[in-house]
Amino acid sequence: MTNFIFFGDMLVMAFMAVLAVWILSRGKSKTLDEIARIPLEDEEHDG
Amino acid sequence: MEAVSNKVYHDTVVIRLIQFSVIWALLAMLGGVWLAAELIWPGLDFGQYWLSFGRLRPLHTNGVIFGFGVSALMATAFYSVQRTSHVPLFLPRLAWFCCYAWQLVVLLGGLSLLAGYNTSKEYAELEWPFDIAIAIVWVCFGVVFFGTIAMRRIRPIYISNWFYGALIIVIAMLHIVNSLALPVSPTQSYSLFAGAQDAIVQWWYGHNAVGFLLTGGFLGMLYYFLPKHAGRPIWSYRLSVLAFWAFVYSYIWAGPHHLHYNSVPEWVQSLGMVMSVVLLAPSWATMVNGIMTVSTAWEKLRTDPALKFIVLSLAFYGLATFEGPMMSIRSVNVVSHFTDWTIGHVHSGALGWNAMITYGTFYFMAPRLVGGELYSSRLANLHFWLALAGTMLYIVAMWAAGVSQGLLWLSVDDIGELSFDFKDIMASMVPYYLLRLVAGLIFLAGTFLMAYNLYMTVRGRPARRAVPPAVAPAFGVSR
Repeated sequence: MTNFIFFGDMLVMAFMAVLAVWILSRGKSKTLDEIARIPLEDEEHDG
Repeated sequence: MEAVSNKVYHDTVVIRLIQFSVIWALLAMLGGVWLAAELIWPGLDFGQYWLSFGRLRPLHTNGVIFGFGVSALMATAFYSVQRTSHVPLFLPRLAWFCCYAWQLVVLLGGLSLLAGYNTSKEYAELEWPFDIAIAIVWVCFGVVFFGTIAMRRIRPIYISNWFYGALIIVIAMLHIVNSLALPVSPTQSYSLFAGAQDAIVQWWYGHNAVGFLLTGGFLGMLYYFLPKHAGRPIWSYRLSVLAFWAFVYSYIWAGPHHLHYNSVPEWVQSLGMVMSVVLLAPSWATMVNGIMTVSTAWEKLRTDPALKFIVLSLAFYGLATFEGPMMSIRSVNVVSHFTDWTIGHVHSGALGWNAMITYGTFYFMAPRLVGGELYSSRLANLHFWLALAGTMLYIVAMWAAGVSQGLLWLSVDDIGELSFDFKDIMASMVPYYLLRLVAGLIFLAGTFLMAYNLYMTVRGRPARRAVPPAVAPAFGVSR
């Protein structure tokens, strides 16, 4: 059972490592910066 | 119902949900104060079953989580999903149905708890007719939310919507699976799971209700309203996406830490412990992201009571998400489990994180929703200090009580017998419980101030007509 838990934990670590690399490599900083600004420019007032 | 054009955001339903949320906060916290008093003076139940601790306690937790918390989450989700999608709500009449049906379910469910109908599953106490009603309203909430996302006029789905989406999907899954039961009468049912399996499923539900509702949902609130308050974008959008995936992937495994030294397999307990410690990473990534976002706007803290609440909630979020993983370690849990330390931990999250961020968000939204000013910034500032004092006093009293209980219960004499009688230990807790009662009264007084302040802010004013802005070409979706 110890081995099972160890391999499970390693799978979680591997998933997160792959995910981190994927997120860091995907998307230009400029685009992400623009997405981050969405809440700042999301309404105008009609009267 | 509001008669508006297709392009105007539907905000009247948001105002109504905020009103319900505040009413539930007052009622449920009043119940909590009464329970705190009952633990000092048990005669306060006046011999009435419906006033007994066993019936009032689930009413308090259900009122806070499902009345106050979910109404606030619906309000903020409806408010932010329209704005971050640049479209009004999808099926606004269904949003109104969610608003009123949810209040009816919480009200009738609460009355059923007072009447003694209880499944005995923590945070899932309501009997099967209410479980079905909750599932129906929740699915309708999901239809409105995801329908709005599907109709959006800008391509990216902002990070707050990912958290709200996770809240809706995961809570539906948890609620439906944990509520699977065989009804034997309109007021009684038996769980489909038995023994240790029932315990594992229950705490898979229970812990993730905390995780995806009280943490994930409120993180959605944070990622939208913190940049709005601070007037600048989130410090690292990349980190927020990473934290989201780490959060959803780690949290779902952590439930068995509620079952340490129990009859579930030891490897299940160990897995729950390890994944709980892993959770520290995404939790603190979010906290750091939030603190860095306001790091260039500290001057606003002097004048903006709403931002004070949000920043303080971040501090308590960091505290609670450090304490939780530490308490999940089995050698720590042997002291903390079944003691008031757990109550202190829960309230550092519930009062310090959930209530504070909600209060800050309500102070931000209310004047903007009606196009006016907050009735009194001085009252809001006073509320801030009352909330901080109440929360600190509460958790310090419960830490002291809990650590004392844990160590005294574990004390044995030379021949291995318990050194202290359980009854005597509980009697020695009265000073801590008095402090907790005072803390609860202080926090409740602050909440009453907020209710008055918000009432005076929105009184007699209709929702302001807010419309989507022109879409940036890079993000535009043609329809």
